Amino acid sequence: MDYVPGAGESTRGLHSSRRIREGRQLNKNVVRGYVLAFVALGFGLGSFRYSIGSLDNTGPGLFPLLVSSMLLAIAILIVIRARYEAPDRLEIKVRSIASVLAGLVGFVLVSKIVGMIVGIVVLVFVAALAGSSYSWRSNLKISAALIVVAFAFQGLLGLHLGLY
Amino acid sequence: MYCAIGCVVGTLVGLLPGLGPLATISVLLPLTYSIPVNGALIMLAGIYYGAQYGDCVSAITMRIPHATSIVMCIDGYQMTVKRQTGLALFTAGFSSFIGGTVAIVVLSLLTPILGKAAFLLGPPDYCMLMLFGFMCVSFVTTGSVLNGLAMCLVGVLFAQVGTDVQSGVQRFTLNLDSLYDGISLVSIALGCFGIAEITKNLDKGGGHSPFNGEINLIPSWVDFKRILPSAFRGSVIGSILGVLPGGGATVAQFASYALEKKVSKFRNQIGSGAIEGVAGPAAADEAAARTSFIPLMSIGIPENAVTALMMAAFIIKGIQPGPNMIATHPDLFWGLVASMWIGNCFLLLLNVPLVRLWLSVFKIPYNVLFPTILFFCCIGTFSVNNNLNDIFVTAVFGLIGYILMRLSLDPSPLILGFILGPMLEEYFRRTMILSRGSFEVFVTRPISATLLGLVLLVIVLAVSGAVFPTALANRGKARPAVTS
Repeated sequence: MDYVPGAGESTRGLHSSRRIREGRQLNKNVVRGYVLAFVALGFGLGSFRYSIGSLDNTGPGLFPLLVSSMLLAIAILIVIRARYEAPDRLEIKVRSIASVLAGLVGFVLVSKIVGMIVGIVVLVFVAALAGSSYSWRSNLKISAALIVVAFAFQGLLGLHLGLY
Repeated sequence: MYCAIGCVVGTLVGLLPGLGPLATISVLLPLTYSIPVNGALIMLAGIYYGAQYGDCVSAITMRIPHATSIVMCIDGYQMTVKRQTGLALFTAGFSSFIGGTVAIVVLSLLTPILGKAAFLLGPPDYCMLMLFGFMCVSFVTTGSVLNGLAMCLVGVLFAQVGTDVQSGVQRFTLNLDSLYDGISLVSIALGCFGIAEITKNLDKGGGHSPFNGEINLIPSWVDFKRILPSAFRGSVIGSILGVLPGGGATVAQFASYALEKKVSKFRNQIGSGAIEGVAGPAAADEAAARTSFIPLMSIGIPENAVTALMMAAFIIKGIQPGPNMIATHPDLFWGLVASMWIGNCFLLLLNVPLVRLWLSVFKIPYNVLFPTILFFCCIGTFSVNNNLNDIFVTAVFGLIGYILMRLSLDPSPLILGFILGPMLEEYFRRTMILSRGSFEVFVTRPISATLLGLVLLVIVLAVSGAVFPTALANRGKARPAVTS
């Protein structure tokens, strides 16, 4: 995996020792190619689990194999191209995405067990961890408002939400 | 009256982040059971147009779209960032009016002819048409053409998940029941755009929606002169592509956007909040939405999910859409055509004065707004199949959307690839069966040969432009990184 130098550093002649010493960030351009290659290999290798068939009698595995092969070729081109581009830092902040996803997962699990009213409360309280400020009072108000909206959806639009 | 009710309800429900036209029509379809047949179909059509407009509003102000307004997220949202929300909304509404008007003329005059023309295209032509669509969308994506193409192919691969129609085999489902019917478009759109956008705003430090309450709807004469040509170009493209199965509003938007990037006087500004990037796609979207009724009403074949739902409504009311429909139910056909134009005018008149009301929701602080949007995303996902597990899929695509955003990969081509993937596979397999496994069929048919030539030309230009000049130009010197 390639590394990106720190701010203001030259991008020329990066030696591996310097990369390890000064660079701690992943190169977005290279990671992009690797991620696409990973997807291509996942589907491409997975397609061998199904019958490939022949062109005039195609099996369910042939088309995904063709498409993933093309994607793999493009991913390789992207990795090659990244060698000639200035590195670009890949920044990942875990807090917001983790809170949002935890809120969604919590909503589903709690809604299945207890009902969507409690699910809404869990969604608001967990997802709000990603916000710039955290207020129990505000979260309670939001939850109450959303519960009212959910009842309105159920009553007016006929959605079967399973609120309780 | 039914048209007006449909437009208002459609706009209100479509405005909610997480509920697009498809989900809106699905949810409101039962409300029309007790209404007479003409009124029910006219009301459903009104809901469709209203939901499309409402969808545009959430795409422009918050970058939360559905399939019908994905392109609005690019320049429309950038205009919001530049404090031009009112102008963007007016442009979208006015261009939609032009697009709708042009398409209604096409619909009423050319339904029989265009229906037959679309019917004459063979499977190889459709294959090449879709590949050409991928090329178009790769050019409009932010970043490089290679990234756009890659995302198209990723979308096609995600579309492979589910039951193979021909063999009945479960592909890439990981033995999960939720994936047997494939991945829902709503889950992908909400995950890759909605949730990714929320996390992007939060990563900026508990950010705010860029909409600041600015609602100056009246454009200057200079702006107006920029809107009109793009809107007319978009109307023509939308009217043509709306007729073709596999085309539809989404493809028309992308094609119009690509055209504007090539021919507009202000093409250099497109992508960073140009009026042309909103006017053309909005007109194309509306035109295609209306002309997509042509295959349905002339040959009885729905060309997208929304017209399939409309077809269901026709059949529920005891009417079989097809070649005989205009002859046997002229009042219904012409009533629907007339209602389209009435709905068009109604949306324009209704939404200009009421836009302040629609947008008041976006003045809410972001810490309050983002859990609310998440809730609507959950309800929108759930309402498609009444299945809570679909929200897990949305969450997974939220993570994927976040990764794509961090890697500067635009998810718009992924959505297009996902929509066209199943059709591309079907037509490819059909072509191979008909040609007994020979690829010659693509060059022996004039239409597919022409499209193939264009596709190959674009591939050569894209690969050479994306790799070799960069390599040569940067031999020994650093180049600014490609970022979107």
